[in-house]
Amino acid sequence: MSSVEAPARGAVTPRLRAQRRKRLVAAVFVLPALLLLGALVLYPVIFSVGRSFFDASGDTFVGADNYTEMFRDPATLKAIRNSTIWVVVAPVLLTGLGLVLAVLTEKIRWATAFKLVLFLPMAVSFLAAGIIFRLAYEQDPERGVINAAVVGVHDSFSESSPYPNARSRDGETLVKDGEGYRGKDAAGPGDTVNLGFVGVPPGEMPGEAKPAADAAKSTAGQDELRGVVWLDFTPGGGGTAGEVDAKENGMPGMKVSAVRDGETVASTTTGDDGAYSFSGLDPGSYTVEVPASNFAAPYQGVSWLGPALITPAIIGAYLWIWTGFAMVLIAAGLAALPRETLEAARMDGANEFQIFRKITVPLLAPVLTVVFVTLVINVMKVFDLVYIIAPGPVQEDANVLATQMWLVSFGGGNDQGLGSALAVLLLALVVPAMIFNIRRFRRSES
Amino acid sequence: MRRTRRSGTAKATRISAAVAGSMALALGATACGGESPGPASGDGELSGQTVTVSAVWTGVEAKNFQKVLDAFSEETGAKTQLVASGDNVSTFVGSKIEGGQAPDVAMVPQVGVVQQFAQKGWLVPLSSKAEMETTRNFAGVWKNYGTVGTKFYGLYFKAANKSTVWYSPDALDQAGVKPPKTYAEMLKTAGTVSDSGTPAFAVGGEDGWTLTDWFENVYLSQAGPGKYDKLASHDMPWTDKSVVEALETLGELFGDKDLLYNGSAGALRTDFPTSVEQVFGPEPKAAMVYEGDFVGGIAKDQFDRTLGEDAKFFPFPAVGKGDAPVVSGGDAAVVLKDGKNQKAGMKLLEYLATPEAAAIWAEAGGFLSPNKELDLESYSDETTQAAAKELVDAGDTVRFDLSDQAPASFGGTKGTGLWKLLQDFLGDSSDPKATAAKIEAAAKKAYSKS
Amino acid sequence: MSAPGTTTRPAEDGPAPVSTPARSTSEKARKGPVDWLTKRLGNGLVQVSLLLVGLIWITPLAGLFFSSMRDDKDNSASGWWTSLVRPDQLSFENYSTLLENSGITTAFWNTVMISVPTTVLVVVISALAGYAFAWLEFPGRDAIFLIVVGLLVVPIQIGLLPVAKLFGEIGLFGTIPGVVLFHVAYGLPFAVFLLRNYFAQIPREMLEAARMDGGSEWRIFVQLVLPLARPAIASLGIFQFLWVWNDMLVALLFADSSAQPLTVALQQEMRQFGSNISVLAPGAFLSLIVPLIVFFAFQKHFVQGVMAGSVK
Repeated sequence: MSSVEAPARGAVTPRLRAQRRKRLVAAVFVLPALLLLGALVLYPVIFSVGRSFFDASGDTFVGADNYTEMFRDPATLKAIRNSTIWVVVAPVLLTGLGLVLAVLTEKIRWATAFKLVLFLPMAVSFLAAGIIFRLAYEQDPERGVINAAVVGVHDSFSESSPYPNARSRDGETLVKDGEGYRGKDAAGPGDTVNLGFVGVPPGEMPGEAKPAADAAKSTAGQDELRGVVWLDFTPGGGGTAGEVDAKENGMPGMKVSAVRDGETVASTTTGDDGAYSFSGLDPGSYTVEVPASNFAAPYQGVSWLGPALITPAIIGAYLWIWTGFAMVLIAAGLAALPRETLEAARMDGANEFQIFRKITVPLLAPVLTVVFVTLVINVMKVFDLVYIIAPGPVQEDANVLATQMWLVSFGGGNDQGLGSALAVLLLALVVPAMIFNIRRFRRSES
Repeated sequence: MRRTRRSGTAKATRISAAVAGSMALALGATACGGESPGPASGDGELSGQTVTVSAVWTGVEAKNFQKVLDAFSEETGAKTQLVASGDNVSTFVGSKIEGGQAPDVAMVPQVGVVQQFAQKGWLVPLSSKAEMETTRNFAGVWKNYGTVGTKFYGLYFKAANKSTVWYSPDALDQAGVKPPKTYAEMLKTAGTVSDSGTPAFAVGGEDGWTLTDWFENVYLSQAGPGKYDKLASHDMPWTDKSVVEALETLGELFGDKDLLYNGSAGALRTDFPTSVEQVFGPEPKAAMVYEGDFVGGIAKDQFDRTLGEDAKFFPFPAVGKGDAPVVSGGDAAVVLKDGKNQKAGMKLLEYLATPEAAAIWAEAGGFLSPNKELDLESYSDETTQAAAKELVDAGDTVRFDLSDQAPASFGGTKGTGLWKLLQDFLGDSSDPKATAAKIEAAAKKAYSKS
Repeated sequence: MSAPGTTTRPAEDGPAPVSTPARSTSEKARKGPVDWLTKRLGNGLVQVSLLLVGLIWITPLAGLFFSSMRDDKDNSASGWWTSLVRPDQLSFENYSTLLENSGITTAFWNTVMISVPTTVLVVVISALAGYAFAWLEFPGRDAIFLIVVGLLVVPIQIGLLPVAKLFGEIGLFGTIPGVVLFHVAYGLPFAVFLLRNYFAQIPREMLEAARMDGGSEWRIFVQLVLPLARPAIASLGIFQFLWVWNDMLVALLFADSSAQPLTVALQQEMRQFGSNISVLAPGAFLSLIVPLIVFFAFQKHFVQGVMAGSVK
C-alpha cells in the first residue's frame, strides 16, 4: 500500500479510502455466507476425505483400506449395485415419461389441470411419499391398492379353486404329485379308494358338506371304481388318521380323475358326501388323481416389497414424485420451440411421430440434458424414500449408497471411517456434475 | 397400542441409544463437569424436595408408574416429577446432563445402556440399603445384570417374561389338543392344529427381534445358561455346534410351511403387532403366537380378549433334555450423578426395591416384577400371575435377551446383523451351518468395534 | 441444475410453466375433414390415456387420505377403497387422537421452528452475498463465486459426520438452532447462485444512477435491488421452506427427541407399519397440509422455485 501512496498524496488517498470502504462493505455483505459455507460445507469435505483414511475409532491410519473394504463388504457392494440401477434406470424413465407426457399435454385443453396433478407430489415429503407407497404396495390384495388391481385383472382371466389350503398327511392315503395329489396305491374296477385331506379351515368347507362315513363303506360294482374324498379331521380331535370317522365330512365339488398309463380315462366331481365313482371301466390298473386345479392357491398379487422387486418398487414411488418435474420443465422447453419449423414439416406431409423424432427431440436436446443431469444428481442422493419404504427384512436388498452411508456411520455400525469413505464416494460421483455446472456457468457469463 | 410400541421399541431404542452413545463419545461429550449435586437436606424427612424421574413410559404405563411414585411421596413427603424421555433414553439423558437438567432417577430399558451410562460415569452406585434390599428380594441374576464392574448401579423394577407362547384356546380345542410340555410335543401339536385347518403359528418376522427371541429361547433351553452367557459375551463363536443345533431345532418349525400362517414368506411380511392380531384379532388366522408377556396386554387392550379365557399362554417348552427357558428383559432404575436431589433419588430406589412398590403397579396391570417377595396375589389376573411365577421361579436361571446384550449393530439393527440373518433363515432354513457361519462373521465385526 | 438458461430469470419466463400455450384452436380450423376426424380419434385416445395417468397420480394420495380417516380395525381388514361405498367408516377420530398426542404436536411446532428461521436466514444471507457477487468489487470475487457454483451439488451426506462433531463441541448438536444452521449452510450455494444471477440482470445504468445520487450500497440494496428481485426471492423462499419442511435426513441426525420435527417423529412410528396406520396416515397427512397450502397458494412461484432449485 505504501508504494501507491508515493506519487500524488492529495489525490489518491480519498480514492484509496473509498476503495477500502468499498471492500469493507463487500465483506459485510458476503462474509455471513462465506463463513457458513466454509465451516459447514467446505471444511466437512476436507475433514471427510481425511477421516476416510482412518479406522472406525479414528485412531489408526489405515490408508485406502476403507475404500477397498467398500468393494469387499457384500452389503456395501449391494448398495453400490443398487445405486447403479437407480442412476441408470430412473433418470432415463423420468426423462422419457416427461417428454411423452409433455408432448401429449400439448394436445389437450385441460393441460394446466393435468400438469398441476402431476406436479403435486413434488410438494410431498419423501417421508409422506414413503408412507403413501408402503400403503399402496401392501402385499395383501385386500389392503394394498396396487395388488388389488393386479389381482382383479388376474382373476378375471382365471377361476379360483375350491380347496386352496387342503393337503394330505404324508403318504397316508395320497401322495403328492406336482401341485396335485394321487392315490397312494394303484386300484382297479371293483375297488373303493378313499382319499383323506386335512388343513381345510372350518370356514372354508362348503355348507352342503355331509358326513362321508356311509359312502366310504359302500362297495363298488364290477366295473366301478369308487370312494370318497373327505376331510380327515374330526373337529375337536379324537378321530383316527386315515380312517373315515363318523363325524368327518366329505369334500364336495372336488375334481377327481381316473388315470391309466398316464392317460386320463374318466373324470368326475365329488358329491355332498364327498363320494365319487367311475363306472364302465375296463379291467386294469388305475390311479385316482386329484388334480392341482383343486388346490391352486388364490393369486396373491405381486410381492412388491419382497427382496426381488423392492428396488423397482421404490423407483416407482420416485417416478410418482418426479415425473411432474420432468414434464413441466420439458413442456416449458417445448413451448419455446420455433413454431415455423414444426409447421413447415407438417406442410411437407411428415406425420406426428416423424416430427416428434426428427424435429422435436433434437431441438429439445439441451432441455432434455438439463432434466437428465438434474435427475442423475438427485437420484444419487436418494435416501428417505429407500429408508422409509423398505421393510426391515429387505432393507439390505434395497440399500443405496446414501442409506448405506447412514447405516454404516450411525445405524448401529458406527464405523465412521467407512462411512466417511462412502460419503467421499458420493461426492466423487457428483464431481462431473460439478464441472458441468461450472463450465455452463462460465459459458453463460462470457 | 402403547405396550405394543414399547415392546417393539425396546430394541429400536437401543439402536438409537447406541447411535447417540457413540455420537456422544465421538463428540467428546461436554457432558461432564458443571453441576455438582445439590446439598441434600436432612435424611429422614424429604418434604420440600422434588425427585425427577425419567422413563420411556407414556399413557397408561406412565399413569401406573405415577401411582408408585405417589405412594413414595406419601411415605417420604418428597414430591415427584415424571418426565417422558422418549424412545431414545441415551440421547435424552445425555442432553439433560449437558443442559444441567439431569433427572435424579432414570428408568433405563436395556442392560447395554446401563453399562454405557456407568462407563461414562453418569451413575452413582446404589446405596448399601438399596443393595441389601435387592439382595434380599431378588434372585442374584437380577443384581448381576444391574452391576457394572464391581459396582451395583441398576435396580430392575419392571421385567418382561419373554418365554410365553400365547394361544387361542378355541383353536386348540377345535384341534383337540392340549398345550405341549416339550418342544417336540409343541411341533406335533402344531401339526395337528394345522391339520384342523388353522395354521399353527403366526410369526412376526418382519420385526427381527421376534426371531432373535425365538432363537434365544431354543438356545437357552437346549445349550444351557452357561453357553448362553458365553455366546452373549461372544466368548464362544456362533459356529459352535450348539448354535447349529439350535438353528436346526428352530428350522424344524420355521421350515415347515404348513405350520406357519402364510408360510415363511408370509411371516417375513408380518410385523409383531400384526402377528398378535392374527391370533387374537377379530378374524383369527392362526392358533399360536410366541412372544413376551406383553402379548397378553395387546390381546386384552386392543382385541378385547379376556386373559385366562380366550387368550392363554403356556411357558416356552423345554427343548430336548434341557430345562424350560426363561428369557427376560426389563427396565432398570438408576441414580444419576448430576441429579440435584440425588439423595432423595436414592431413597426412591430403595423404595422401588420393596415388594410394596411392585405391588402397586402389579395391581394396576401390565407389569411383571422380578421381586420374589411380591405376593403373586397382587397381580390382577391369573394369567399374569402365571407369567410372573414363571419368571420368579426360574431364579438364577433367568437370562436376559441375548441380542440386547450384544452391540447394536449386531443384535439390534433393522436390516443387518442377527436380525437380518435370522430373517434370511426364516425364509430359507435349509442350511443352519451356513447361517451360523454368517452370524459369526457379523458378530466378529460388531464385537471387534465395540 | 436447470443451470443458467432456466435459472437466471425465474420470474421472466413469462407465464408460469403450468399453463398451456394457447394455440390448439387455430390449428384445428385449418385442417381438412379427414384430418380432423383422425385427429379427433387420436385426440380422444390421448385424452383418455392422460385422464388415466392423472387418475393413477391421484390414487396414492387419495389412499393416504382415506386410510387416515379409518380406524385400525378397518384398515387391517380391508382396503381404503371400501370406504368409498361405506362412508360410515370415515371419521376424524384419528386426527383428534393425533392432535392430543403431545409428541406429534410438539414435533409439528418443531417443524415450524426449524423451517421458518431457516427460510428467513437463507434468503437474507444469500441476498446479501448475491448482491456482493453481482455488484460489489472485492478481490477474488469471481473465483470464490465459481467455488460456490461448484458447491451446488455437494451431497448433504458429506456434512453429516463432521458437522455433528463440530456441533457436539459447541453444544449445538441435538438442538433446533443446530438443525437450522446445517440447513442454512446447505441451502446457501443454490440460493446465492440464484440471486446473484438474478441481480446481475438488473441494468447497470440503474445502479450507477442510484450510486451517483449518493445512495449507500445498503440503501441501494434495500430500496432498489430487493424490491426488483421480489419474484426471485419468493420462489427461493417457497422452495427453501418446503425443502426444509419436508426434510427428514438432517433432523434424523441433528435433532434430539425434544427438537425433532414431524418427519422424524413419524419415522419413529414406522417400526410397526402394518398396525400403526391410524397414527402414520393422519400424521403424514398433517405433514402434507402446509406444503399443499403453499402449493396451491403459490403455484407459480412454487413451480419456478422447484424447477430452479432442482440442483439440490
